[in-house]
Amino acid sequence: MTSVELGSRGTVWAFTVQRFAPKSPPYVVPEGGFVPFAVGYVELPEGVKVEAVLDCNEFADLEDKAQVTLVATEPVPRFATDKSLENKQ
Amino acid sequence: MSTGVSIVGAGLSKFGRQPGRSGRELALDAIAAALRDAGLGWPDVQVAFGGSDGSGLADTLVADLGLTGIPFTNVKNGCATGGSALMSAVNAIRSGTAEIALAVGFDKHPRGAFDPRPEDWGLPAAYGEAGLMVTTQFFGIKIARYMREHGISEKTLALVAEKSYRNGSLNPNAWRREPMSAAEIANADMVNDPLTRYMFCSPGEGGAAIIVASDAVAARIGRAVHLLGAAARTRRFGSFEVFSPSIQGVGVPSSVSADAAAAAFAAAGVTPADVDVAQLQDTESGAEIMHLAECGFCEHGEQEAWIAAGETEIGGRLPVNTDGGCIANGEPIGASGLRQVHEIVTQLRGEAGDRQVAEPRIGFTHVYGAPGISACTVLAV
Repeated sequence: MTSVELGSRGTVWAFTVQRFAPKSPPYVVPEGGFVPFAVGYVELPEGVKVEAVLDCNEFADLEDKAQVTLVATEPVPRFATDKSLENKQ
Repeated sequence: MSTGVSIVGAGLSKFGRQPGRSGRELALDAIAAALRDAGLGWPDVQVAFGGSDGSGLADTLVADLGLTGIPFTNVKNGCATGGSALMSAVNAIRSGTAEIALAVGFDKHPRGAFDPRPEDWGLPAAYGEAGLMVTTQFFGIKIARYMREHGISEKTLALVAEKSYRNGSLNPNAWRREPMSAAEIANADMVNDPLTRYMFCSPGEGGAAIIVASDAVAARIGRAVHLLGAAARTRRFGSFEVFSPSIQGVGVPSSVSADAAAAAFAAAGVTPADVDVAQLQDTESGAEIMHLAECGFCEHGEQEAWIAAGETEIGGRLPVNTDGGCIANGEPIGASGLRQVHEIVTQLRGEAGDRQVAEPRIGFTHVYGAPGISACTVLAV
């Protein structure tokens, strides 16, 4: 078996919005309480689609093969749209 | 072609909430109904397979059924538990080990979404902590992608669920018996976009049992439904399933449902076009749409026109989920795969009452479950 280094940029392959709070446990409710979040798969050029939480200003920003950047790997991969990254700067 | 195996008995418990009754009691109801249907007694059964996802061990049912000493194997295969139990029963007949075999599935789930533990699925605990251990997310993501790729509209999602509730209203044993309009379904609370709460099945309660026999024994019993073909498969490389931290490879994901359906049709020597009535896994309305194409009944994208024209209604070209499916019957995980077979047996015998399809000769069942398993049967009279 060989390992493949994955890049940090990809496109949103598909996503949904988690509209209700998942059952706790195992879900750990964030500080400030549950807010709906996007979850989907990010297609990386290395030939894999990775499940990730998706940060965005509006869920519609994730449509049309939106470009996203890896912002965290723990507790699960997390990618953000360019617009949501601009907001944080 | 034929497998040499026939279904001679099919039975269900009541489906839907039954306070004070255990999952095991529902299994016993289903077995009693299947034995009565076949005109057999428990001592006639020579081997049994069964299971539940969360309501106990099937082999303990012998305490109530009778201690006849037969082999009774527990099966646990997610939503495909019933399908896997049936495959085992069928193989026992084909091998000559037994002439009469039982498959049983049952469950009684609490209200609300399932809450599986990541550790049980080979996933890190963090996956659950982050809120990704939610089965409904997979279905939302898969149909969202499919709609964009193949031009399926949100209206079509609602029409499928509308049909489920309408068929449920014609089925005395269904849980949901009130028809619901497509508008009400479409406007309900969103669970996982684009799927609303009324497009999903709910974890529920019920038991289902099927008795299979060699063709020789079936001829003696009568009212037999012949098993032309059956196949079960697990996922291949590149598939997209419930609880997938990644999808390997490039391009369109492989489909375990397509693999199982193709194998069942090949074994049966018939094609999807020969099928008169079908039961397709409808965990939510999008699943029924995608499984129509994955199982070979239409091309990807044709569902939009099919459903608008009523082709999957009772009276259409291919009636689908005539008993209301999982959406109207609920999802007792262990039971659903065998409920599907029960409905096709009922239809092929012409005993489906108000929901009867006009003189079907060939029927098909398809079950799909996490983490990428599918079982299909082709049945005929």
